[in-house]
Amino acid sequence: MNGVVSPMLRRLAADRATGALVRDHGTLYLVEGQVVHAESPVAPGLDILLAGGSDRRSAARARTGRPGRIGDGEREICRLGALFDAAFFALAPGRGPARFRYGAEPRHAGPGRPVPAVALERETLRRRELLDSVWPYPALDAAPVVPRPTAPGQTVTARGRALLARADGTRTPAQLAWVLGRPAFHTLLEIRRLAAAGLVETPAPPPPAGPSTGTAAAPAAAPAVAPGGAPAPVPLPLPLPPSGAVPAADHPDIALLRRVRDALEARL
Amino acid sequence: MANAETTLKEAMTAIDGALGAALVDYSSGMALGMVGGGQDLDLTVAAAGNTDVVRAKVRTMEMLGLNDEIEDILITLGSQYHLIRLLKGRGTNGLFLYLALDKNRANLAMARHQLRTIESGLEV
Repeated sequence: MNGVVSPMLRRLAADRATGALVRDHGTLYLVEGQVVHAESPVAPGLDILLAGGSDRRSAARARTGRPGRIGDGEREICRLGALFDAAFFALAPGRGPARFRYGAEPRHAGPGRPVPAVALERETLRRRELLDSVWPYPALDAAPVVPRPTAPGQTVTARGRALLARADGTRTPAQLAWVLGRPAFHTLLEIRRLAAAGLVETPAPPPPAGPSTGTAAAPAAAPAVAPGGAPAPVPLPLPLPPSGAVPAADHPDIALLRRVRDALEARL
Repeated sequence: MANAETTLKEAMTAIDGALGAALVDYSSGMALGMVGGGQDLDLTVAAAGNTDVVRAKVRTMEMLGLNDEIEDILITLGSQYHLIRLLKGRGTNGLFLYLALDKNRANLAMARHQLRTIESGLEV
């Protein structure tokens, strides 16, 4: 747990720099070396999270209970969650070099407590490890989510059911996060758990290019959202399932064997 | 205005026998804030570990077909109480307050009542 996610972030924090660190999958805004805001095209912003997503069913559920204004404490907690979420993707390994724009300020950041860069790095590393400890298939993070039938007697949590209900075979985890109004990392984690339980297809891993370090691939970005509109799902080619054609519903024993095989392959 | 930090500080000062408190996101296992703890009680570990407790209980209730919500979870040790209170607010859905209490100094009924008050403080 003592790796360095971004040497540049370390340097900027040490120099107490103020400005925007622009990376491949997102931007971190610093004030005097501390992170005050993060944005990523993958992670839904605070507005989407508080509105309950772009999907009418989830938005209605978010509004039930206590209508009206949201408390300051809730907003602060939600803001912090959104910051860590966007930072996770902004700090994902990128291809291009990072740039720093001195003095740049975020447009949509409300007031709130800044987060030390070290805390952000530590949490980002912890999250990467958590994803791989659940089900070490980073290909899941960017591929369209393809549900699989439940085995007889298998239960799914309400959160998992809501996710599966909206997985239409074309939406990526990031797009599902926008639809449901949930943090994108939480959605990746939920999908890895569902895949580990055999409820979501695990796409075939891409051919290995050098040693894999177990870092999550950055998910396909959610498309820009029109005001008040849902992100249009971008159709992507369906990945081939690892074992050719999948029968409509596996016998539970076969489903179990398949999971055992997948797990063994993952460990060997 | 009560933010994560002040909420926890409130919990620590208002509740007799509190050893440590954390505000935890149980989907990701992240502690959004921590107060107290120390060598005998690593709150980071406690936060991540207790997310499994909460998720297991939620899953069990699904299996049982209980259409209900968890208010709090109490774990009684020889010398401590561990209280987990799930938050219900719109922006705090999927979070819980974790509180470790010294069994000899704590009043459990009072602590639960205080946690409720602190939660409603988050919502104003």
